[in-house]
Amino acid sequence: MKKRWVFAVLMAAVVGIALGSVPVQAADTVKIGVVGPRTGGAAATGKAFEEGIQLATTYVNANGGVLGKDLEVVFEDTAGAPDKAASGFERLVTRDGVAMVLGESHSSAALAEIEVANRLKVPFVVVEAWADPITAKNYRYVFRAGPSNSGVVNDTIAKWVVHEGFKKAYIVAENTDWGLGIAELSKAALKSAGVPYESLVTERKSQDHYTELAKIKAFDPDVVLAFVYGTGLHYFVAQAGEIGLTPKAVVLDGAGPPSLWPDFWTNVGDYGNLECFVSSMHEKVELTPLATAFREAYVEAFGHAPTDYKSRSIYDAILIAADAINRAGTTDAEKVVDALESTELLVTRGTARFGTEKGGPEYHHWMPPMLVIQWQDKEQVVLYPPEAATGKLKR
Amino acid sequence: MLALSITNGLVIGIIYALTALGVSLVVGIMNVINFAHGEFYILAGYFSFLFAHTLGLDPMVAMVLSVGAVFVFGVVVEYTLIRPTYGDELYSLILTFILSIVLQSAYLLIFGPYPNKPPNWVKGATDLFGLFMYGNQRLAALFAGIAVIALFFAMLKLTWFGRMIRAASQDREMAELNGINTRRLNMLSFGLGCALAAAAGVILSPVFPVTPTAGVPVALTAFVCVVLGGMGSMWGCVVGGLILGLVENLGAAYVSTGYKHVFMFVILILVLLVRPSGLFGRSET
Repeated sequence: MKKRWVFAVLMAAVVGIALGSVPVQAADTVKIGVVGPRTGGAAATGKAFEEGIQLATTYVNANGGVLGKDLEVVFEDTAGAPDKAASGFERLVTRDGVAMVLGESHSSAALAEIEVANRLKVPFVVVEAWADPITAKNYRYVFRAGPSNSGVVNDTIAKWVVHEGFKKAYIVAENTDWGLGIAELSKAALKSAGVPYESLVTERKSQDHYTELAKIKAFDPDVVLAFVYGTGLHYFVAQAGEIGLTPKAVVLDGAGPPSLWPDFWTNVGDYGNLECFVSSMHEKVELTPLATAFREAYVEAFGHAPTDYKSRSIYDAILIAADAINRAGTTDAEKVVDALESTELLVTRGTARFGTEKGGPEYHHWMPPMLVIQWQDKEQVVLYPPEAATGKLKR
Repeated sequence: MLALSITNGLVIGIIYALTALGVSLVVGIMNVINFAHGEFYILAGYFSFLFAHTLGLDPMVAMVLSVGAVFVFGVVVEYTLIRPTYGDELYSLILTFILSIVLQSAYLLIFGPYPNKPPNWVKGATDLFGLFMYGNQRLAALFAGIAVIALFFAMLKLTWFGRMIRAASQDREMAELNGINTRRLNMLSFGLGCALAAAAGVILSPVFPVTPTAGVPVALTAFVCVVLGGMGSMWGCVVGGLILGLVENLGAAYVSTGYKHVFMFVILILVLLVRPSGLFGRSET
């Protein structure tokens, strides 16, 4: 009897946790779904998404809502796993009846989700999954309002490497769709720029990078392009300092958000100084009035300045979705896709406009501008592009 | 590269061994596979972070308090959850699996998704033998790990409690006939197993900060160590941990960094092909 009691209590806890993610049904709303990791190694992205959803929903509903109704967002956890991502996406469509789906930050998960979107004919706006094939497959229902690997490498990272005059580079990539894809593009870009490089692959879940770092140090590069996401980036930066790779070489965090997480400095200590990272957000570089409004609303809601730029990415995506449905005048998928294709909307990162020419990853893709930023005595200094720079690289 | 790989392999291997000892102890005495073992490791890291950062305690005091708190929590878990499952191994397996999910979710709810790191005991790095730089906190972790393992084996060999553990793991019924209260021994052993996971957690969390799900690979590696060394063999755990640490690092250095954790399973399969009961396990006849 006691066994059953114990089992029942534990199962109730598990079910309770699961039900915690199910939204309360609101009457007379237009629903859109968001997919992203609320659990697992990248749960921080889920937190950033939650913040962005809260601010965007408030903004949209305060400005007339969607089709005259309130906007309701249903957030489904994918844990960064392709199988959970695909089933979660399908649940949003079949269980919750969402008009469209936004989000995701894991390329592997997004690649599973676009197949479901295409099969169910549901518009899907990818936000922070960078692998090129996501839009290169040219699916009618799949859009991307965020960076792509080729966009980040060709528009920002490779140009920055040349701009700073680095002589030798090392590319470190985690073994994921994002990591391997962006590493290949970086190799091609460095080769055409005439910058000698070496590269290696590391495991996504690896905590210990000493062996990798010893190999990198032996090559004696002056810049290390680190395509490692999450806490792994913190380990990488701290251990690079311990073995003496930095500050002689500059480490560039090729993803961005982990260098902005609130515990970055606790985890990396002084070794974080002079680390560089890519980001679409900087408090002194606000491209549109909406970026300023976002920051002010964020500070008011959460009591501190925004850190993880993915909160702003999902915010933009929700505004784009609401605008498309309103212009379509319906939640009919075909009409929403047509409306998305003609999007011309000023959001926090500039004017969102999707490519419509088929054949490459630019199809249905809007690439927002990215910055290269360096930590200098715990201050963010924009290094690239030159027109947005607030300082120069320190070594 | 060779010297660095061996040094790093020993450091990581000692920590693997320390984590695996707790699993082996609980398996050997209670025949319970604790799937939530990694979550006890993480809990100690969180406690250590809270005591040192929030309460401002000295890191050493925070560590000792954390291990003590996890020991007490382990005893409570044994009394409330594990005890009703004795005699039904599958049931305890499912129960600890559910417990691990509940604890992971609770950590996410309480501590958030970001990693938490207790303060370093020592800062900086040391030039070892003029060959390579090595983090001082890692060296401290190596010595602390060796000290805890030595204390554990001394306790097993030299104390009455250690004798009771050895007696119960060899023949539970005979131990009971000789007056050992095996129920109480189970409770204390489970607590001790959790405390060993906690010791590994507080030693390693300044090097590898804890996150809600970081216990999963910790537990997985501990199970591999236990199976490799032989179920229930304490020395097997230590040897297994060291082998895994060395193989991982040498494999990453000379084969590929992209398959570091695959080497662990390759070694496990090879050993089990030759010795199905593990390196130091007793074969059942």
